[in-house]
Amino acid sequence: MKQICRETLERAYLLIDGEPIAEDETLSIRAHLEECTPCYERYGLEVEVKALISRLRGAQPCPEALRHRIAGLIEEA
Amino acid sequence: MAEAKRIELSPADKARFTRDTLPLLDSLYASALRMTRNPADAEDLVQETMLRAYRSFDRFEEGTNLKAWLFRIMTNAYINTYRKKQREPKKVSADEIEDFDLYQELKNHDDQFSQTPERIVLDSLVDTDIIEAIDDLPEQFRLAVVLSDVEGFSYAEMAEIMDVPLGTVMSRLHRGRKALQKRLWELARDRGIVRSSRDGSRGA
Repeated sequence: MKQICRETLERAYLLIDGEPIAEDETLSIRAHLEECTPCYERYGLEVEVKALISRLRGAQPCPEALRHRIAGLIEEA
Repeated sequence: MAEAKRIELSPADKARFTRDTLPLLDSLYASALRMTRNPADAEDLVQETMLRAYRSFDRFEEGTNLKAWLFRIMTNAYINTYRKKQREPKKVSADEIEDFDLYQELKNHDDQFSQTPERIVLDSLVDTDIIEAIDDLPEQFRLAVVLSDVEGFSYAEMAEIMDVPLGTVMSRLHRGRKALQKRLWELARDRGIVRSSRDGSRGA
């Protein structure tokens, strides 16, 4: 992999993860992704995998019995 | 813990604690499950976390990030109390992780799937596959991936929760994702979703 590709993909994680990033840096990342198909595809794949993992959000809620037990313990504390 | 002394919180503070923390129980429990990898320990860990949080709530600065504060307490409680009894996760060598490239693996299967191979592979994985793949990760990677991709914490919040520098957060997250992608790929192969491109790369 070329140096520019490696560096762009590393910085692209900041975009994927919604981290604060300077506007000109965003532009330079997007410019490379637009002209480099493999990087564009890799970026898309990372976005999809992150979305896949995020499916677990809310998939296993706190059991009601535990919620009540904790509320009771706090009430008595 | 049973004879814990009574805590002097004003009724207003107690009400605020209950109002603000109980809605976060789903997030805490889900992450406790990924930390401990079993429901009984996860329940104990969440309860312990909430009691610790209650006891130190007078030191919580109102207006700062309550969710990150609770997660930091839970991470510490996990490390100090529960980690000792955990089974060792499968060892993954650092080289093995760095060498893995999901994109390339998918490309190699392009002949099988003429269109968007990643969609076919990713869509075929169910939640239990994702959970299994995460639970197989080494602890530090597991935590980084869960905090970022499931709970949506920022790098700065994760640095606070895990008590490590920002650069360490980023490197754990990067390696955690690589390791996770490798595991998901192996699961897809085990399920027969994709054929092994390199026979023998996984011992019988």
